[in-house]
Amino acid sequence: MTRQWKLLDYALASLLRRKGKNLSILVIYTLTVATLASVLFLTQSLRQEATKVLSGGPDLVVQRLMAGRHELVPLNYADPIRKLPGVKSVQPRVWGYYYDSLKKVNLTLMGLPAEPEILVLLEGERPSKGQEIAVGRGIADTYGFGVGDSLLLIDAAGEKQLYRITGLFETGSDLLTNDLILFPEAELRRFFAMPTNRATDLAVSVYNPREVATLAQKVRYHLPDSRPIGKTEILHTYDTVFHWRSGMLLTVSLAALIAFCILAWDKATGISADERREIGILKAVGWDTTDVLALKFWEGLAVSLVAFLLGTILAWTHTYVFGAGLLAPVIQGWSVLFPDFDLTPSVDLYQLFILGMLTVTPYIACTVIPSWKAAITDPDSVMRS
Amino acid sequence: MTPLIQIDQVSQTFNRHQPDEVQALRDVSLDLQTGETTVLTGPSGSGKTSLLSLIGCMARPTSGRVHLEQREVTRLPERFLAEVRRENFGFVFQQFNLLRDLTVTDNILLPLTPTSLPAREMRNRAEEVLERFDLTRRATLKVRQLSGGEQQRVAIARALINRPRVLIADEPTAHLDHALAEGLMELLSSLKTDGTTLILASHDPFVIDHPLIDRRVQLHDGALA
Repeated sequence: MTRQWKLLDYALASLLRRKGKNLSILVIYTLTVATLASVLFLTQSLRQEATKVLSGGPDLVVQRLMAGRHELVPLNYADPIRKLPGVKSVQPRVWGYYYDSLKKVNLTLMGLPAEPEILVLLEGERPSKGQEIAVGRGIADTYGFGVGDSLLLIDAAGEKQLYRITGLFETGSDLLTNDLILFPEAELRRFFAMPTNRATDLAVSVYNPREVATLAQKVRYHLPDSRPIGKTEILHTYDTVFHWRSGMLLTVSLAALIAFCILAWDKATGISADERREIGILKAVGWDTTDVLALKFWEGLAVSLVAFLLGTILAWTHTYVFGAGLLAPVIQGWSVLFPDFDLTPSVDLYQLFILGMLTVTPYIACTVIPSWKAAITDPDSVMRS
Repeated sequence: MTPLIQIDQVSQTFNRHQPDEVQALRDVSLDLQTGETTVLTGPSGSGKTSLLSLIGCMARPTSGRVHLEQREVTRLPERFLAEVRRENFGFVFQQFNLLRDLTVTDNILLPLTPTSLPAREMRNRAEEVLERFDLTRRATLKVRQLSGGEQQRVAIARALINRPRVLIADEPTAHLDHALAEGLMELLSSLKTDGTTLILASHDPFVIDHPLIDRRVQLHDGALA
């Protein structure tokens, strides 16, 4: 152990002696790790947000399709579903999207009640009558509103409607609260000019989540024009979308990683005459090949670990402090139409470990392997230099 | 009396079977006793450095054997050979071979770095040799900031830090003026007094004829003359 500590100490001093070369490698290495880690952090956080949204959502959402398009669901579609064994409740939901051209954001307008258990009022109270709304934290931040303020929206008839904010709510997920406005159901129907015997979709709760797929089949059997969507299907879709996008980015970043490896290899293999001479001297004064290789290993480990840590911290800062400004448009996709929101920090340690293995290991190999040749040099050559 | 080092019919050939093959040593046999001071003499290219390398376990002979205290070291694996080298020999190279960007202390401590000797013991030994070679005030300077004579003292201090039984010096006065050469020989005399076996290679008459020398071994064209 003492020997290894001393070799590590010598390795660090050795790195400092070649500041220029090692600093340039460290900077490039750090940026490469930061890019890759940013993609991982952002993807993981978005998946985490999606999971949180769905955890509070219904087990099954039933939509109606007409000519392959999403249509409003007649309220009486709930009756045959309620009769299915295993169904706990069926709740018609009234909701829709609203584009605010002034703020250039997409908002989700939803009629109460809508999974009230996942919505926690931070301030004020739920809207109970016409011209009253409750908003998510993201909207309050985007518009600079608070409880008691008013929000102007244009209804389906093109009329301006002024709504008073009675409450501010929050959930565990920013994805949900960020763009959501809650209306009394009757008021929202009037706003969207939606018939009273129809709903946007039906939220179905079941006793046993394992039976969702079977129940979905039964719903489709009884209501052939329906489209039942299970919670896991939605999660799978989120996963696919985010993984596809992050995969694309990682593929592009991989090119950067390969370029870095080539650079590292080039730097490492280009052992200068001074470095060769130093290895020869070390061997002549009693170091053996394993000592020299251990020295090179510590040098490689020190550079790669520092770069990995700096890169990870940089990625964390970029993703969670600066909102992943450089990558969000690519991975979120719809972010340009969505109010800004803070990502909940979420790190998959396994992914981080894999990233570490993919960046630290090749660099150490790039450092140690080329030194092998110099390390097996006969110390006798130093006598003749 | 059992010799400390036994060289038994050693030959050394470089670039074997190549057009530029060089036979550096031919069937050299030599016994070196403990505490003895030996100088290898001969013109340039006579094989002095090659023989020093073999004695100091820095190279392996093409044929023949080298024994250290009756133990054959010729066929030892590289790792053990390095250990033998570290524990028994100190080297002073013709060009000093110091790491110019390291401090005097760091250079001196190089042979002890890959050992399990505690850091405190290393510091004590460094202080001891620094004082002995009057380098204490130079301890934190980079080697490139030192004069030639000081660099040579650092090289000798480094060679002695592991308390070797044998000090090997190749052309130790090659880069020194007469005064510095005299100082060096005085230093070597004190080492001899302490019981260190000295093996030098030189073609400098000042060294060859110095009273310190017990034995002169003449080499010519890779063979003992």
